[in-house]
Amino acid sequence: MSNRGNKSGGVKPRQIINNIIFLGPVIAFLILMLIYPLVYSLYMSFHKWELTQITPPSFIGLKNYINLFKDPLFWHALKIQIIFICIAIPLELIIGLLIALLFQIEFKGNNIMRTLLLLPFFILPSLSGTTWRFILHPTYGVFGAIYRFLGKEPVDWLSNGTLTFIAVIFQDVWRTWPFIFITLYAALSNFPQELKEAAAIDGASKFQIFFSITLPLLIPAITVACFLRLIDALRIFSEVYVMTEGGPGNATTFLSIFIYKNAFRFFQMGYANAAGYILTTIAMIISAIGLTRIFSREIYEY
Amino acid sequence: MRKKVIRSLIFILALIIVLIELIPVILLFLTSIKTNMAIWTSPTPFHPFKPTIEQYIGVFRETTFFKNIFNSIYIALWTTFFSVLGGSLASYALARFPLKRKKEISIGIIFTRMIPQIALAVPIYYMFRKIGLLDTYTGMILAHTTFNLPYVVWLLLPFFQQIPKEFEEAALIDGCSYIKVFTKIFFPLVSSGIIVAIIFCFLGSWNDFIYTLVLSNVKTTTAPMLVTTFVGMYAPEVGKMSAAGILIILPVFVLALTLQRYIIMGLSGGGVKG
Repeated sequence: MSNRGNKSGGVKPRQIINNIIFLGPVIAFLILMLIYPLVYSLYMSFHKWELTQITPPSFIGLKNYINLFKDPLFWHALKIQIIFICIAIPLELIIGLLIALLFQIEFKGNNIMRTLLLLPFFILPSLSGTTWRFILHPTYGVFGAIYRFLGKEPVDWLSNGTLTFIAVIFQDVWRTWPFIFITLYAALSNFPQELKEAAAIDGASKFQIFFSITLPLLIPAITVACFLRLIDALRIFSEVYVMTEGGPGNATTFLSIFIYKNAFRFFQMGYANAAGYILTTIAMIISAIGLTRIFSREIYEY
Repeated sequence: MRKKVIRSLIFILALIIVLIELIPVILLFLTSIKTNMAIWTSPTPFHPFKPTIEQYIGVFRETTFFKNIFNSIYIALWTTFFSVLGGSLASYALARFPLKRKKEISIGIIFTRMIPQIALAVPIYYMFRKIGLLDTYTGMILAHTTFNLPYVVWLLLPFFQQIPKEFEEAALIDGCSYIKVFTKIFFPLVSSGIIVAIIFCFLGSWNDFIYTLVLSNVKTTTAPMLVTTFVGMYAPEVGKMSAAGILIILPVFVLALTLQRYIIMGLSGGGVKG
């Protein structure tokens, strides 16, 4: 007999065993390695907790959070994180969209060029960090060579706060616009061709077709791509840590780097966990908004 | 005729875009085949130089490259195995079982993929320190599974949901167990999704830097960490950094170039059907 015919509404033992076999390992793992650390992190964030543990952890309630809100460096980290997101993601979206549209046109080598464009996205973030550090180097890097070619004294970009911030944005745009490009390209390729043809016959101009047909149909793909980028931009760490170590000064100390430094440089585990919790909360709010929008539309329609 | 001219112009434009985009990779490669002296004297591709493999030999002889690569592969393989096995079982159940609240459970699992890794790495570091899992393979594999497992669920859920219900109903009525239905019917049907999951779990683990930085020391350090030890940026270090970097991205590039179709499917997860 089928074990899904539950007329009484009760769950049959066999179904319970199936649930345990199929879902049990994953749920157990997630509780042990995700839920427990997060609860533990919350617990630590209410304590003065030094990694060195010369003094044992002492309960201080919300003091870490209060100190955090008084810490100008935390606000600075939050501010540059927001500026970074607001500049980098729109740039990536515009470049990605324009080039995705360009590649909709058939030309020689379209296929291979598309793949080549994707390569930077597969460079390890940490290697991207070292590579850019090297390119920007005044003596060995191309940047230094360009300055010398123009007859000027090479400028060390990574010793100037503003220039370093620009370089980090540049690095991020370089590495991740191909992701938006390929997502939008895939979505564009799936469009029904008849729609565009019908509009063209009706005498619509290319711009009209783009703004009244193509763009609205692309919105779901743009939403998913930007949502994933937003989540990654919010937790950006490796590339910046390797490229600038958060410096010069604190010019590129994003939230993740702020947390890392507090935990493993200053050994303030309680303080670091409090900051970690705030970052997690921001990420969860964004995910809640993003995921419910994506899921309500795409997946649970059956 | 006009159309042909426009197409050639677009071809040239696209070619320029590709070249500009690949400049950093090209520079990295060119630097990896220069002598220490040439790195200093010819920093751009327009300066002539004689290619050499001495940087690669330097990486092999003077660094822990092979050890780090072994660690990377070992950790990535086990992480991939656990993530894909656990993730595919769970997403099958979440897509097919008559469960209550499965939408909430699915979104809950996928939610965990969005947690900033550094916020998780700090408490995990402390947990591992207490139970002696710092700088162990077990610890690294567990840590890497935290981000790969939710990814597999997010990726595979729509694959399982797309399969018509009749496929399993017939089998279940015939008395097959869910495990048999899963292995005999579903696993083959979602094989392309499984391939994507394997590729991306491996890459995710291969590319990870945060957990290696926080949790590993001498024994389990992975390859990305090796590259970052050369950031002192003297000429010999730049050369070795480039050579090691090229060696580490080479397998990734080969994967991306040969398995393009799967890569595009995997990038946006289940949300977009590529």
